[in-house]
Amino acid sequence: MGIMDKARIYSPWLYHLHCGGCNGCDIETLAALAPRFDVERFGIQLVPSPRHADILLTTGCVPKQFIPMVKRVYEQVPEPKVVVAVGSCACGGSLFYDDAPENYAILGHPDLLIPVDVYVPGCAPKPEAIINGVVQGILKLAEKRAKK
Amino acid sequence: MSTEIKILKQVLSKYSKPMTLTYPSAVAPERRYSQIPEGLRGIPERDKDKCIGCRACYFVCSGRATSIYDKDAKRTVEIFLFRCTFCAHCQEACPEEAIKMTNKFEIAVPNREDPAARVLTELDLLKCKNCGTPYATRKLADRTYERLMEKIDPIVKETVSSDYKKLDGYCPDCRRAYGVDLDTHTKKYVWLEGV
Repeated sequence: MGIMDKARIYSPWLYHLHCGGCNGCDIETLAALAPRFDVERFGIQLVPSPRHADILLTTGCVPKQFIPMVKRVYEQVPEPKVVVAVGSCACGGSLFYDDAPENYAILGHPDLLIPVDVYVPGCAPKPEAIINGVVQGILKLAEKRAKK
Repeated sequence: MSTEIKILKQVLSKYSKPMTLTYPSAVAPERRYSQIPEGLRGIPERDKDKCIGCRACYFVCSGRATSIYDKDAKRTVEIFLFRCTFCAHCQEACPEEAIKMTNKFEIAVPNREDPAARVLTELDLLKCKNCGTPYATRKLADRTYERLMEKIDPIVKETVSSDYKKLDGYCPDCRRAYGVDLDTHTKKYVWLEGV
């Protein structure tokens, strides 16, 4: 592990991907980024492009129209990357979980499309719970960097 | 004058404590590192001794998070937290007050099969005297009898009570099949008019 990789553990950048939710988890996520909880203590910064990000934070269950965008955003994040699913919708589909007959509009949890590393259940999870999940994500990121 | 007070307030505010909560670690002991409001609905917890396995929580669960399945003479009552919306409907519906919402919120897990993502309760099932099929828990049978005795018409109370005791230990199928042999058949209520 080079000096760059060591330094980058202390500044994981985060891209917030909202794929079809009720906005509850997004509000809690923004609260976690704001001064009250201040995730910048861990060097986490919200970035406007997935190409700059290390952590992909997804909220909400994926609608069928949004499937190509989720895949594209995931591919745009450079390796090594970590996906954190926030909220019950993003973890297991929650109320939108449907077995047969299949729902015409909603696919379900993003786990069906992209590999998720950390799940944070809750409806909506507290900002502290999101921080807890993201910190676990950082530890996974460090592991992935060490393997590389 | 008022502007001077405003300035003074602004200056004094610089000396107040920072409002950032230092979650996940308490850096300074006097500073709060997390805020848990009263009535926060966190992970639901089930008391194993109180639960009777009656499926009331299963029927009210809006997100289909609760599931109940019987296997090897054991009834497993499960809440899958990935589908739970923490609405506390199960807490309201539970007749035995076995489910309680706690204020624990740290439930981040690395995969779906993690035991932390499920609230599991295993209950022993009674086996049928006749055919050996597991059918209900001991507590559920007792509670059904108690509730039946509370609400039943006093005219048939004694008959039903003795019938129920005769049937105790048989599964629903055997009760139906051996009703005549055990003398618990409903034919004896025919003479009762207006009940």
